Amino acid sequence: MNTQPPTLLELQHAMYRSIVASDDAEAAAYIVADGIDPAARLGIYRNTFASVLTNALRLSYPAVHRLVGAECFEGVVRLFIDEAPPRTANLDDYGADFPDFLMRCEPVSALAYVPDVARLEWMVNRTLHAPDAQPLALARLAALTEDEQARVRFMPHSSAGLLRIDHPADSIWRAVLAHDDAALAAIDPAIGPVWVLVHRTEGVEVTRLSEPAWRFTEALFAGRPLHSALEDAACDDAQQLLAQHLAAGRLVDFELADHASS
Amino acid sequence: MLQSKRGSIPAKAGIGLRFPHHQAVVDTRPEVAWLEAHTENYMGGGTSLRYLETIRRDYPLSLHGVGLSLGSAEEIDAAHLTRVQHVVERIEPGLVSEHLSWSIVGSVYLADLLPLPMTEEALAIVCRHVDQTQATLKRRLLIENPSTYLRFRHSTIPEWEFLSRVAERTGCGILCDVNNIYVSACNHGWDPATYLAGLPPAAIGEIHLAGHAERQLNNGNTLRIDDHGSCVAPAVWALYAEALARFGPVPTLVEWDTNVPPLEVLLGEAARADVMLEETDREYAAADAA
Repeated sequence: MNTQPPTLLELQHAMYRSIVASDDAEAAAYIVADGIDPAARLGIYRNTFASVLTNALRLSYPAVHRLVGAECFEGVVRLFIDEAPPRTANLDDYGADFPDFLMRCEPVSALAYVPDVARLEWMVNRTLHAPDAQPLALARLAALTEDEQARVRFMPHSSAGLLRIDHPADSIWRAVLAHDDAALAAIDPAIGPVWVLVHRTEGVEVTRLSEPAWRFTEALFAGRPLHSALEDAACDDAQQLLAQHLAAGRLVDFELADHASS
Repeated sequence: MLQSKRGSIPAKAGIGLRFPHHQAVVDTRPEVAWLEAHTENYMGGGTSLRYLETIRRDYPLSLHGVGLSLGSAEEIDAAHLTRVQHVVERIEPGLVSEHLSWSIVGSVYLADLLPLPMTEEALAIVCRHVDQTQATLKRRLLIENPSTYLRFRHSTIPEWEFLSRVAERTGCGILCDVNNIYVSACNHGWDPATYLAGLPPAAIGEIHLAGHAERQLNNGNTLRIDDHGSCVAPAVWALYAEALARFGPVPTLVEWDTNVPPLEVLLGEAARADVMLEETDREYAAADAA
């Protein structure tokens, strides 16, 4: 055995291997046994790591947790943690890749709508924790000339998001969180795709849009010049939708495109 | 009442603010001197931050962080330090604290307050990171002693001395977690009185109290686990009395994170700490008058 004391960095890498990869060999050699096996001592930290992250993902993905059951969820989360341990101490940001992981994960990939519910839940989580921002003051838009208004490129509030989902994940999500088994049983998972807007009011709202309304909103959120977004809009109520987005504070700023932009 | 000289947090008992109690605190405005929030829980916007800002208007608040990883051999995560800075600037808390521990290596966050080897190398690294944090936040930090379940063979400095030297070198304060002292002392065969006696009273800016659990291991041995999931243990109350006798009246926080009980239970624990604080207050006032 190497009797040279480890540097702090060497020790921390050994602890990493113990906690993340269950490889105690090196870390155990650095620990005072003192009546209790070093592996048992390391196991306490490994369990905390797994349980804290499982809990963080359960809070971000409550409907997935209920859909697949606690046991399956914990098993899947263990696999996910092995593949993608957190790279931030802000655990609200942990788990963005979980929906993609679920698509590749055998125990749940047979339930094709589960990854879609997960995608919706991640967007709900992002919306919940997005930083605050002041809504765009309408007076700033009113002060523009007609030519300038046509060239407006909006910036959306970071809490507003759009999602196209193959399955009716919004209905499933709502029924699961409401424990409404009758509503859940009535959903045809083959219906789709659905087009949803996730946004923040007092809480988080998930609103289903028509495809044309969704595409127009997407153009606005992507900063397409207003005249171009309106020209391409396949819905009659584009102006009304724009007014709703402004009134709800979903647009927070703008810049002017040059004349050549479209 | 003797006001703390340690920021705007009074030398009275406070409670840890947890999500399940947001609404109850706003609705009932309980009689408690101050509250402490976890910094990492308020790094975004929306409802949680609005609750905290509302509560901030009526109560002194402190911020207690778990993610800076001051003991990492690698550099501090600059993005996380910036997030902490934004919360501190927005809330303007009376106290800001972090832990004598580490949680990040190879850019991976290990989601726990992991033990450090008590070595000169680790001491230099922790001091460098405390200096950096205090310079960024432009304020004094309190550093909390951890609960630990293992010790490293190559440690050369007692934990209380390590913590005292961090305070001496960086000018930071110490958050003395009495439950953690008790848990670590039981787990490692230390004398908790020696630990308390080894800390510099002038540096103590806050005390933490919490419940812990006993876990039986396969070989019949017991480890005490700092799970913040029950009332403060009788032995920890006794050690708290010793801490107050030594440090004087210090802002004292009751924490509860696992199986969070109704707000009244936390308030009951805080009221018990308040009785002891008032007694210490009177003793110190009498000693001053004599």
